[in-house]
Amino acid sequence: MGEFTSGFFMPDQATNGRVLVVDDEADIRKVVRMTLQKAGYDVLEAENGEKAIETINAGENRLLLDVVICDIRMPKINGVEAIAYFRSNYPRVPVIVLTGFPDTDMATSMLRQGVVDYLVKPVEGEKLREAVARAMEQRELAHL
Amino acid sequence: MKHLTDSAVVSTIAPVRVAILGAGRGGTALLDLLHQIPSIEIVGITDRDLQAPGIQRARDLRIPVTDQAEELVRTHGLNLIMDVTGDPAMERFIQSHKRPAADVLSGSAARVLWELVRHEAKLQAELFHAEKLASIGSFAAGIAHDINNPLQLIMGLAENLAEETDLKTVHEQARDIVEAVRRTSAISRDLTQYARKTSARDDAMVALNGRLDEALKIARYATSFHDITVRRDYQPDVAARGNQDELVHVFVNLITNAVHAMERGGGTLTLATRMSRDGVTVSISDTGCGISPDISGQIFEPFFTTKDPGKGTGLGLYNVKTIVTKMHGKIDVESLVDRGTTFTITFPPATETPS
Ligand SMILES: Nc1ncnc2c1ncn2[C@@H]1O[C@H](COP(=O)(O)OP(=O)(O)OP(=O)(O)O)[C@@H](O)[C@H]1O
Ligand SMILES: [Mg+2]
Repeated sequence: MGEFTSGFFMPDQATNGRVLVVDDEADIRKVVRMTLQKAGYDVLEAENGEKAIETINAGENRLLLDVVICDIRMPKINGVEAIAYFRSNYPRVPVIVLTGFPDTDMATSMLRQGVVDYLVKPVEGEKLREAVARAMEQRELAHL
Repeated sequence: MKHLTDSAVVSTIAPVRVAILGAGRGGTALLDLLHQIPSIEIVGITDRDLQAPGIQRARDLRIPVTDQAEELVRTHGLNLIMDVTGDPAMERFIQSHKRPAADVLSGSAARVLWELVRHEAKLQAELFHAEKLASIGSFAAGIAHDINNPLQLIMGLAENLAEETDLKTVHEQARDIVEAVRRTSAISRDLTQYARKTSARDDAMVALNGRLDEALKIARYATSFHDITVRRDYQPDVAARGNQDELVHVFVNLITNAVHAMERGGGTLTLATRMSRDGVTVSISDTGCGISPDISGQIFEPFFTTKDPGKGTGLGLYNVKTIVTKMHGKIDVESLVDRGTTFTITFPPATETPS
């Protein structure tokens, strides 16, 4: 993140970045939030693709959202559709898939769509934080 | 043209009138098979023992039962006497009392016939089990989802507990972990119970509302219920005579089909049960794609499917129909393209009250 942008847009308390977690299960959102807050990320939640799209389009998120973590199997606009939307409307925001189903065809097709990581639950906290950190780096590289 | 003449001929032929002597296992198997064939009329069944299993079955099927073997054998217009008693004295008895026009099937010929019927029933059971196992393959995504989500929760909480210092939080999260483990183990319990071979358990009065709920739980693994509203419209205490494992499987098949039909855009799944003097009905309705009239005649045929290769076996409805027929019920379909479909199963009125 360039100096100017961060000085201008950052919320009051400095965070390492803002992550949106999209999963229909509240339990999953809760643990992912816990895991990422430990590494100083600011976490937003959405329970389905529709809410996720609403969230990313809301106010400052449009500019401040750094990474999306998204499940595939969800009601109301599933993960595949939501991810297609993010990729075409917010190509600068890296997307990580976090799913319960290890499906190589799905993984391949998601990676082709520009998803940066495909993680299968259960994933260790450290791995998840590493994946988010890598996504943040990619995002900064893309800005250079 | 040829077709028309053929069916016209078939429909004018009088049914073969059959009497069954012996209501043990052989007689019961014959009853079960023969009563499903429209061109055969069972005029009566008899046995020395009126408590024999085939006698009760005959009463359920409303087939005349008699203790007068001689009268039955002499029935006017009888075409065939099937003697499955295996008793040489019975053979002589029949030969001396029957009318000349009636044929007799007895001794080893009757035995071979019975073996064929049993063999057919065994094949049927194997086909049924094969389809059940194939459908469990499609459960993989649902199971992975339902197991891996609680595992993710357990992982996250356990990692946190390793560092957590607040005692209240420790207790709370430990309880959440126990709860998540319970949820996970319930899944394997449900599924292993469903996957096991159908129990040979005798037919009994089965409470249908409970079996529908059980099927709903299983079907949730088989297919995603996203954007589907489930309505349960049950009349209390509805029951029918049958094998409960088979009934659950019937309902799982109909529910999964209904949910698949609503894959695009969601909809409402309605499960309803009713009981009246005319019998018991279970209906499973969806607001999905409907069945077009040009295929509606084929859906109960084995291997008929409109699903992509590898997605459906086309055995679902075939097995549903087999089981329902075996239970002396019938199944009807009403469907409108793009509006939805209702499958209604009707069972004959119960001859006894559920225990
Ligand atoms: N509720 C329904 N709505 C629309 N079409 C249906 C419905 N139920 C069944 N069908 C049609 O009937 C066909 C046969 O159904 P059946 O259950 O026998 O096999 P299948 O569902 O294709 O395969 P399987 O049961 O092995 O998954 C289906 O492929 C579908 O075209
Ligand atoms: Mg089916």
